[in-house]
Amino acid sequence: MKKRFVSLTLAASLAAASLAGCGGSTSDATTAAPAAPAETTAAAAGNDAEKPAETTAAASGENTTLKWSVWDISLTTYYEPLIEAFEAAHPGVTVEMVDLGSSDYQTVLATELTGSGSDFDVVCIKDVPGYATLVNKGVLEPLNDKIQADGIDLSMYGGITDQVTVDGNLYELPFRSDFWVLFYNKDVFDAAGIEYPSNDMTFEQYDELARKLTVTDPGQEVYGAHYHTWRSAIQLFGILDGKNSIVGGTYDFTKPYYEMILKQQQDGVCQDYATLKTSSLHYSGAFSQGNVGMMNMGSWFIPTLIDKIKTGEYTDCTNWGLAKYPHAEGVEPGSTLATITALAIPTSAPNKDLAWEFVKFVTGEEGAEIIASTGSIPASMNESIAEMVASVEGFPADDSSKEALQTANLYLEMPVHPKSAEIETVLNEAHDGIMTESITIDEGIAQMNEKIGAILAE
Amino acid sequence: MAATRKTVDPAVAEQKLAKLTPRLKDLEARVAAETDPKKRQKLMAQIVTVEEKIKQVKTGERMTRQQKRDLIAYSFIAPNFIGFAVFTLGPVIFAFVLAFLKWDGNTAMEFAAFDNFMEMFGNSRFTASFKNTIIYCIATVPMTLAAAIGLAVVLNQKIKGRNFFRTVSFFPYVASLVAVAAVWNMLFSPAKSGPVNMLLYNVFHVAANKLPKWAASKDWVMFTIVLFSVWKNMGYYMVIYLAGLQGINAELYEAASLDGAGSWQKFRYITWPQLQPTTFFVTIILTINCFKVYDIVYMLAGGSNGVINESAIVLVYHIYEEAFRNWNLGYASAVAMVLFLLVLAVTIVQFRGEKKYAN
Repeated sequence: MKKRFVSLTLAASLAAASLAGCGGSTSDATTAAPAAPAETTAAAAGNDAEKPAETTAAASGENTTLKWSVWDISLTTYYEPLIEAFEAAHPGVTVEMVDLGSSDYQTVLATELTGSGSDFDVVCIKDVPGYATLVNKGVLEPLNDKIQADGIDLSMYGGITDQVTVDGNLYELPFRSDFWVLFYNKDVFDAAGIEYPSNDMTFEQYDELARKLTVTDPGQEVYGAHYHTWRSAIQLFGILDGKNSIVGGTYDFTKPYYEMILKQQQDGVCQDYATLKTSSLHYSGAFSQGNVGMMNMGSWFIPTLIDKIKTGEYTDCTNWGLAKYPHAEGVEPGSTLATITALAIPTSAPNKDLAWEFVKFVTGEEGAEIIASTGSIPASMNESIAEMVASVEGFPADDSSKEALQTANLYLEMPVHPKSAEIETVLNEAHDGIMTESITIDEGIAQMNEKIGAILAE
Repeated sequence: MAATRKTVDPAVAEQKLAKLTPRLKDLEARVAAETDPKKRQKLMAQIVTVEEKIKQVKTGERMTRQQKRDLIAYSFIAPNFIGFAVFTLGPVIFAFVLAFLKWDGNTAMEFAAFDNFMEMFGNSRFTASFKNTIIYCIATVPMTLAAAIGLAVVLNQKIKGRNFFRTVSFFPYVASLVAVAAVWNMLFSPAKSGPVNMLLYNVFHVAANKLPKWAASKDWVMFTIVLFSVWKNMGYYMVIYLAGLQGINAELYEAASLDGAGSWQKFRYITWPQLQPTTFFVTIILTINCFKVYDIVYMLAGGSNGVINESAIVLVYHIYEEAFRNWNLGYASAVAMVLFLLVLAVTIVQFRGEKKYAN
């Protein structure tokens, strides 16, 4: 009896201690919050009640480290210059990056921000479903007051911030806005003696062009088109007419596109989805092999491509070009998918005011110029910034490729929706089933209609 | 020891002794009257405790000798137990509680009673994962068992390069899962040019459009996973069987030879029955490990975005997905309870069986 009692008390006290550990550290965070530049702390003292008065005394001069969560440090060219410029403007501040990995970035980030104990000041938000998850969890700081106080003009983001406003609150500011374009390999077109794709192509013309390029002789295959395994590469052709939504609950509009691409796959115009999936072939790997004519992909691939060609890693796709996304009959060319990469401040951030300075810097004009100078597309776009992107060394010199950067209508790959993570799972599953030909297109669409209907009805 | 000694207050000691001595007498009388040896033993133990207490009162020590011994024993357990309590027991208890709550990790918890459990039956991904887990177990356990015992029997013989082949069969178990899974996906590439499919096409003349798509096909994916799992784990269980084989008395085989038994008869009537305890152990461990499968499925069927379809999803993946993608921590804990009950059922069978095979 006694033994059992002793071990039980031991177990209970330890369990209690471990649970208590989860909720402990909030008080430390505020006392540690220091050293924002003088003007911001002064401003903050007014509206931020929970901050103790001694922070103003901490003042400048002292060293502060901002912790910033990112992914792919080694592949992304603009992190370093952004940090250098910010540190130069704010003496005594160091920005430390923490790489959370790219493939499950949002999951890792959400886990980090769950409970207390995270000390990130600024976090990158990689995609909209991930943003929705974090907003639902209530771990992001609403930025409305700060935006208003500093008079930031949201119109420079081309209306994209409206699409990520949740219940009147904006929790992130975009610094990159990528949109999908058609990459093509000029050498493949030249070898086939076919004219380059134009910036005004219907899906029929696109399909025809891809088929003309294709060579199916074993050993010398040329694929007219290439689709990465993401559902967005195919499924979302359907929303470009602006009439359909990917969270709408009915998905019959995807049928013509699935039909077109399955036919291409069966005829060897594009590589087999199943093979791509099991081999986990990256789209950059596929395009760099030099036997792909056209590939639809986001503009984030531009800087990678420029960089890898410059370093000599890619030798079979050095002569590339850009074209606008193909469009359905009667839709304005330049209608395409967009995805934004944004910055947000977690509610647990130790240095909120300094973090806001950093967010303002990166998402503002100065940041945009730095990002554009590396060949990436910043979120705040204007004529001169577009010119900067196109003038980066290694960007295709022809006018048609430059023109491809002009977009007409941008549709988010995934709009903000509280159920977006669950919807995403169903969409992915149906896409996978259709593309591996495990289920027919009609079965896949029925599956999406039924399951997403059920999710939306909850 | 001097430190634990304190001055004896004679009055208190007297009082205690007055209580303890009659108890001792009473116990002694009961022992003398008791006939059942088991009960007798219990009473004897009680007598020892009371005697110790009397001694403690007389000498004025803080603790009896038995208590000291217990404390020393606890101090040996403590390092392990503290770690266990903090990292395993605490979370386990928390998960039990969570199963009846609705929680996303940040906002306030809500009591949900049995909602999480009811929700499971309507969730097609749960039913699919439950079915797949069971299929996986039923397919993997006997196949791994057969492969392991076969290998063990062959490699227990005095053949050339025995150690080499033992190492070769053990290798998959120690090789990195990520690396070998990549190789498997290459071998079992769904394309016509994949090595296995090429063999099927050229040697067995399977029509090009009938070639299986292995891990990418909803009908073949479980088969591919089971095959991979058997190959990867058979080496480990082979080693356990080898140990079992070493323990069989060689005289039994000698006697069987004299009676003119062939190799099959020897296996059937000596090796197999002698290995029963080993087989039992291996079956239980294998089954429990099969319920916990996750990594193999993720690597083979996950593709580039790590999303697993209903054709291959297993319980542990479903728990992960609900907990860390959809942040339904309560629901995920409820699914974990179901998994726990499954494993518990197997463990109970093991406890029963252990009694039978203990000797």
